[in-house]
Amino acid sequence: MNLRMKLLVVPCAALSFAGGVALATSPDAKAVPQAEPLPKHVLPASKDGNLVLGLCDGETSMEVPGVKDGQKLTRAQAITATAQLMGDWRKKNPNAKWDDVPGPVLAQASPPATKKSPAPAPQPAPGAKPAGSDVRPGGVGAQTGASAVPQQRKADVQTGHTYGAFSERDEQVWADSVQAAVKEGHRVFHDAEALGGTVGVSCDMCHPDAANTHPETYPKYQVQLGRVALLRDMINWCIENPVRGKPLADGDPRMRAMEAYIYAQRKGVKLEYGKH
Amino acid sequence: MRLPSGVVTVCAVVLNSGVGLAASPPSQQTQAASPQLPPGVSATLWRVSVPQGSEPTPERVALGEKLFRDKRLSVDNTVACMTCHEPELGFTDGKPLSEGVKQQKVARNSPTVLNALFNATQFWDGRAATLEDQAKLPILNPREMGMPDADTVMKKVRGIPEYVTDFQKVFGREPTFDDLATAIAAFERMQFSGDARFDKFIAGDSKALTASEKNGWALFNGKARCNSCHAGNAVSPLFSDQKFHNIGVAAHKQDFVTLARKGVQVVRAGDEKQIDELALNSEFSELGRFLVTRQENDVGSFKTPTLRNVGITGPYMHDGSLATLWDVMDHYNKGGVANPYLDGGMQRLGLTEPEIDDLVAFLFTLTDSKFDKLNKEQLAKQRARKNTRPERDTAIAMGKKGNLGDIAPNPDLAEKNPADLGFYGSVTPAPVIPAVKQR
Repeated sequence: MNLRMKLLVVPCAALSFAGGVALATSPDAKAVPQAEPLPKHVLPASKDGNLVLGLCDGETSMEVPGVKDGQKLTRAQAITATAQLMGDWRKKNPNAKWDDVPGPVLAQASPPATKKSPAPAPQPAPGAKPAGSDVRPGGVGAQTGASAVPQQRKADVQTGHTYGAFSERDEQVWADSVQAAVKEGHRVFHDAEALGGTVGVSCDMCHPDAANTHPETYPKYQVQLGRVALLRDMINWCIENPVRGKPLADGDPRMRAMEAYIYAQRKGVKLEYGKH
Repeated sequence: MRLPSGVVTVCAVVLNSGVGLAASPPSQQTQAASPQLPPGVSATLWRVSVPQGSEPTPERVALGEKLFRDKRLSVDNTVACMTCHEPELGFTDGKPLSEGVKQQKVARNSPTVLNALFNATQFWDGRAATLEDQAKLPILNPREMGMPDADTVMKKVRGIPEYVTDFQKVFGREPTFDDLATAIAAFERMQFSGDARFDKFIAGDSKALTASEKNGWALFNGKARCNSCHAGNAVSPLFSDQKFHNIGVAAHKQDFVTLARKGVQVVRAGDEKQIDELALNSEFSELGRFLVTRQENDVGSFKTPTLRNVGITGPYMHDGSLATLWDVMDHYNKGGVANPYLDGGMQRLGLTEPEIDDLVAFLFTLTDSKFDKLNKEQLAKQRARKNTRPERDTAIAMGKKGNLGDIAPNPDLAEKNPADLGFYGSVTPAPVIPAVKQR
């Protein structure tokens, strides 16, 4: 080992020792790598002080004549402006793959596959018996057919123990819960205010019915971000740039609902993460 | 979710009919009539829970309430439905075990009628499928209202002229036992209840809960694992999975193993009548759901009750053996009471005293605002008993004694709040049907 190498090695060792001590002693030190700040879409300034809108590609922009910077567009104005932006982008990229706007698809729209469940217990026809004499032979519970209750209400299809014994009622509640999340996502997706936007632009203006969001291709390398991104990263990029709002936290109900909505619109599409 | 209710209808129609949106114009689909529901009561759950044709009509509700309050339905005119389900007390009687005719104690704590319409089954052991079925049994139970049989009940009701008129007006015929049950069930179907402080919080008012209550909500979904059985969301905001679990309540005051072994033998040998009598009149009623399903793994299991209005519907558990929500927390904190049929999800929780306080504080936010005064009184009353804690076993809860495994993941709330996981959503009230008004 010559002097030059020693000169290199010693500070490195000292540094890594210090680092180790810092890791071991500081309760705040976590092995979580810090993400670099995201690149920003820098918009050109307008000579006349007009509002300049950016597209989600991080490159395309346009001036909105007659609207000053800092003013908010009406929904009608925003739709016209974003349509023009999208048109510009498609002129620039005539060969880009572009999905036609799909019709609205609702999550869980198809009923769950029919499962073999116990046949419902025979129900006495209403009015078949003389009034007041519906006490069947047997004990007190036999009057209501207690043992048939699970079948009647499909309350506990497997009549087994807690786990895995789920009823059609449960499944309906679950499906409706998902649907509620999708519906909330639909609302946020279409609402510049809910997104926290400052220029009046909402997601649906460039992505009607969540077209061309391609949730099935995430995670993938996103050029605008210069890194591999999840769907939510891209949602936040759009919120920060074209929409000009503040990024939503991972746990933000609006973010979670929008993910639900965007995925719901692509139900049945093959999962192809990383695809461009 | 602040979409117009039309969208709810659209979704519902798509869900129910299984056809695409384009194929079914929503305006032509009609929904079962539902009354105006307050926040915290789900229109979807109403649709799932109220059988078609059983929607309460004002006439049936009025007759049902009259019957619900009428002591003449009991054998000696001393007990009405209301005796054990007192509307002013949140439709319970506030006693550990209810009392029927001739001051006989029954084996169960009276469950609240509030939101009972949303239950998948009725009674602590789920032996009745519907509120109509449920309404008949206490009348005929020898320890409750003590009527010998349905014919005797109806003979008595037909002897009361006002009822003959009422039934004629509502049902167009002379009183029958089925119609009587239909009327009582109609009244009970109007006893839905939401509009709690918790609902304001979920709707976005972050100031509706105190810091302690918010922490309780996080613990509820996290370390305390309450949500594994007391599940709730906007579609099913009851905080109950509607399933049956053995949490060991029946094991803490008797030799449950011997009782269970004997019970299993009797059920294998016995006939329908004997088994039903066991459920009613013997110590075997502590075997709970088992006497309904005859499945051995249901031994000692009882229904997960709703936590809506839990603050005002104590004492707790099927036998009313836990006086306060602090006792309930102690019970779960030590992993329940060991027995061979204990639910596999029971384990110690390792909750500290401040955490227990926060959880209890949260539970008191689930009470409907119309019971605010009672809720405050009950909280004060329960808090005053905080130092009488028969179920408390800190050594087991903290893992210093026994072998009940590790506690559940204990997330750093500053970093990740388990209450933020999942999607609770807020409740959209159903369309108004003016004919039916909530009482």
